[in-house]
Amino acid sequence: MNWKGILKKLKEYPAIVGFVGIVIFFAFLSDRFLTLSNFINVFRQVSIQAIIAFGMTLVIISGGIDLSVGSVFALSAVVMASVLKGGSVLLGVLVALLVGALLGSINGVIVAKGKIQPFIVTLATMAIARSLTLVFTQGMPITGFPSSFRYIGRGDILGIPVPVIIMFGIFAIIFYISMFTKLGLYTYAIGGNETAAKLSGVKVDKYKIIIYMLSGLLSAIAAIILTARLNSAQPTFGTGYELDAIAAVVLGGASLAGGKGTVIGTLFGALIMGILNNGLNLLNVSPFYQQAVKGIVILIAVLIEREN
Amino acid sequence: MRNIVKEFPGVLALNKVRFDLYEGEVHALLGENGAGKSTLIKIISGVYKPDFGEIYINGRKSFFANPTEAIQEGVATIHQELNLFEELTVAENIFVGNIKKFNISKSKMIKITDQLLKEFNFPIKASEKVKYLNTSEKQLVSIAKALSLNAKIIIMDEPTATITEHETKRLFEIIKDLKRKKISVIFISHRLEEVFEIADRVTVLRDGNYIGTSEIENISREELIKMMVGREIEEMYPKFNKISGEEIFKIENLEVGEYVKDVSFDVKKGEIFGIAGLVGSGKLEIALGIYGYLPSKWKQLILNGKKITPSRNMLDYGIALVPEDRKKMGLVLEMDVMRNIILQNTDEVSRFGKISWKKSKIIATEEVKKYAIKVSSIKQKVKTLSGGNQQKVVLSKVLRKRPEIIFLVEPTRGIDVGAKVEVYNIVNKLANEGVGVVFISSELPEIVSLCDRVLVMHRGRSMGILNKNKINQENILKLATGVDIK
Ligand SMILES: Nc1ncnc2c1ncn2[C@@H]1O[C@H](COP(=O)(O)OP(=O)(O)OP(=O)(O)O)[C@@H](O)[C@H]1O
Ligand SMILES: [Mg+2]
Repeated sequence: MNWKGILKKLKEYPAIVGFVGIVIFFAFLSDRFLTLSNFINVFRQVSIQAIIAFGMTLVIISGGIDLSVGSVFALSAVVMASVLKGGSVLLGVLVALLVGALLGSINGVIVAKGKIQPFIVTLATMAIARSLTLVFTQGMPITGFPSSFRYIGRGDILGIPVPVIIMFGIFAIIFYISMFTKLGLYTYAIGGNETAAKLSGVKVDKYKIIIYMLSGLLSAIAAIILTARLNSAQPTFGTGYELDAIAAVVLGGASLAGGKGTVIGTLFGALIMGILNNGLNLLNVSPFYQQAVKGIVILIAVLIEREN
Repeated sequence: MRNIVKEFPGVLALNKVRFDLYEGEVHALLGENGAGKSTLIKIISGVYKPDFGEIYINGRKSFFANPTEAIQEGVATIHQELNLFEELTVAENIFVGNIKKFNISKSKMIKITDQLLKEFNFPIKASEKVKYLNTSEKQLVSIAKALSLNAKIIIMDEPTATITEHETKRLFEIIKDLKRKKISVIFISHRLEEVFEIADRVTVLRDGNYIGTSEIENISREELIKMMVGREIEEMYPKFNKISGEEIFKIENLEVGEYVKDVSFDVKKGEIFGIAGLVGSGKLEIALGIYGYLPSKWKQLILNGKKITPSRNMLDYGIALVPEDRKKMGLVLEMDVMRNIILQNTDEVSRFGKISWKKSKIIATEEVKKYAIKVSSIKQKVKTLSGGNQQKVVLSKVLRKRPEIIFLVEPTRGIDVGAKVEVYNIVNKLANEGVGVVFISSELPEIVSLCDRVLVMHRGRSMGILNKNKINQENILKLATGVDIK
């Protein structure tokens, strides 16, 4: 491949370029940055956001949005925690997945059948799920779980943290779905032109429900990991996660108008956010500035996007 | 314009094309789908930059970096997709981008606009919101806008493709008026009758090459077609379907919202059944209603002996639809040709939800070949295909799975002569294979020549079904305007 070819390919994935650029930047400024242990650290920190963002990617490609991910995260965490207290790890995990998938499906059903804008639907379910979480826990954290459960958040295999392994597993699955399945093709089609998709025989409602269900399910998986890592489920879990997820997806090159975006882009979008956090911490930048830096990076990314 | 060259990735859209335009003339630009007509006018109007070549206006070398510059220099373009603000009034649309210069009150704006509209005899009101206008009226707004900017050259890309015959007449009156005011018009159309009616000269492109320019008096229809297609077309309206008399489709008392009331008809095996009517007569909604896209009800629908009740996925029963508006309803513009074709045919290439891209590629390549769709590769985004080739993609994806009955809504809109004949051939073949064919069109010549019976709609109701011996333009027009015939 010649230079031009490579450049063109890279333009399709601006997030990769941005990622590499930021890595080089921090590598110059901090000698603790470019080490294996630091990178593993970054990946572990990113894994939770990334998993949620993978689900959000499908939702956004389909032309929707899911603001409820953070609240779904919290509700599945606390419900699971109370089951875990009862003893069975397997049952607890299953319950968490069930809660996530159920809440996601409810989003999907209201969006698809009620023909209400996803922004509004998920804004409402975000509030409702958060409220349910607080009622359920009476505002108190639930702590102390079996060690076999904590392994999900703290264990590692051959030096790689379990959360990172789960993240890559889910990345592979969602990547596969988006590229090689009917669901993936339909997701792009619904986001690109819903009318044309419908007239082509795509069961739009059904697939929308599946897409939102997946988003809820992935939020629950992320919740399992965090709960295991902290050995505690807190009612304030997941606050603001929807914004991180949306940011990662948009950094990855998706358009909120739908029909565009990739899971690879999202992975790097999430990594950019993680690296920024990590790098700024290593440089001892005050956390007060960190949000602003993230915001600026997002704006720059979107401006570059529009140039293309 | 001299030596204009424009290359897109994988296609040479224009290869050393030249074009000239006199003051006050109507110059028609002809060519098959993908010949480069739209690309050429996009270069004139500053949308694209040519790779090579020069443009002169009044002997002065000109070059427009963007459409705004072109407009300032008096070159206005009415693209096929009209760019108007639906929520604004006619007057506001005309003044948008111009307001600073005038900086006037709303009422004055409406007064000035009404004057302008009156001067040119445009039957629209300045205070009307654009969203309440039909396509033809919106076109007039675009033209009025061009005139308000003192355009000297007005370019119209297939203005007649989406409007009725009557509205076309009105448009031509307006164009003649423009000529008298020394305004030049570049006019693109796939309808040769129109070209002979309105144009002074004609330039033909083929595959991005300049073929020739001629005074309209010095050229015959056949010669023109030959220049465009590169070969002779013997039969414009092939007809070789054989009716067997057996009934394959029947609907009684169809109602579609407020659009269609109490319509009944049946389609025989091998028959090409036509539906005609003016814009807004409900002829499109018949198809959308039966297909399940619009809420509808009926007393009885029988397809090949089976009774069918309204449902949302009529495709599963073998009822297929080629929708009217390919961009809004037919295609996912951001996706490539292959994915658009596969979208409606996933069951052929997928198992347990997994798509085989290998099979998809084979199918897409097959379809592209079968319908002679001009693409640089099956991975080309349909957004960048020429209008006619987009239409072929729609046809191919809908027809891939053989339906039991197909509703073709304006299937030849915007496609070239050669491709039209291909569509007619396909329609005949489908009928002979036993597929019920309902052909819905605003183009009377094709309805008259192709259909065995024609149902004519007027204001949501059927005015009657004409048998073959009664089908002619006059009868259809009478019924379509609500006049009974004996
Ligand atoms: N942006 C683009 N990117 C890539 N190819 C393009 C682009 N725009 C046009 N083309 C290609 O250039 C060729 C000429 O297209 P053009 O739209 O000018 O045809 P046309 O003569 O207007 O056809 P039609 O009658 O169907 O409207 C086509 O092969 C088309 O696919
Ligand atoms: Mg064109």
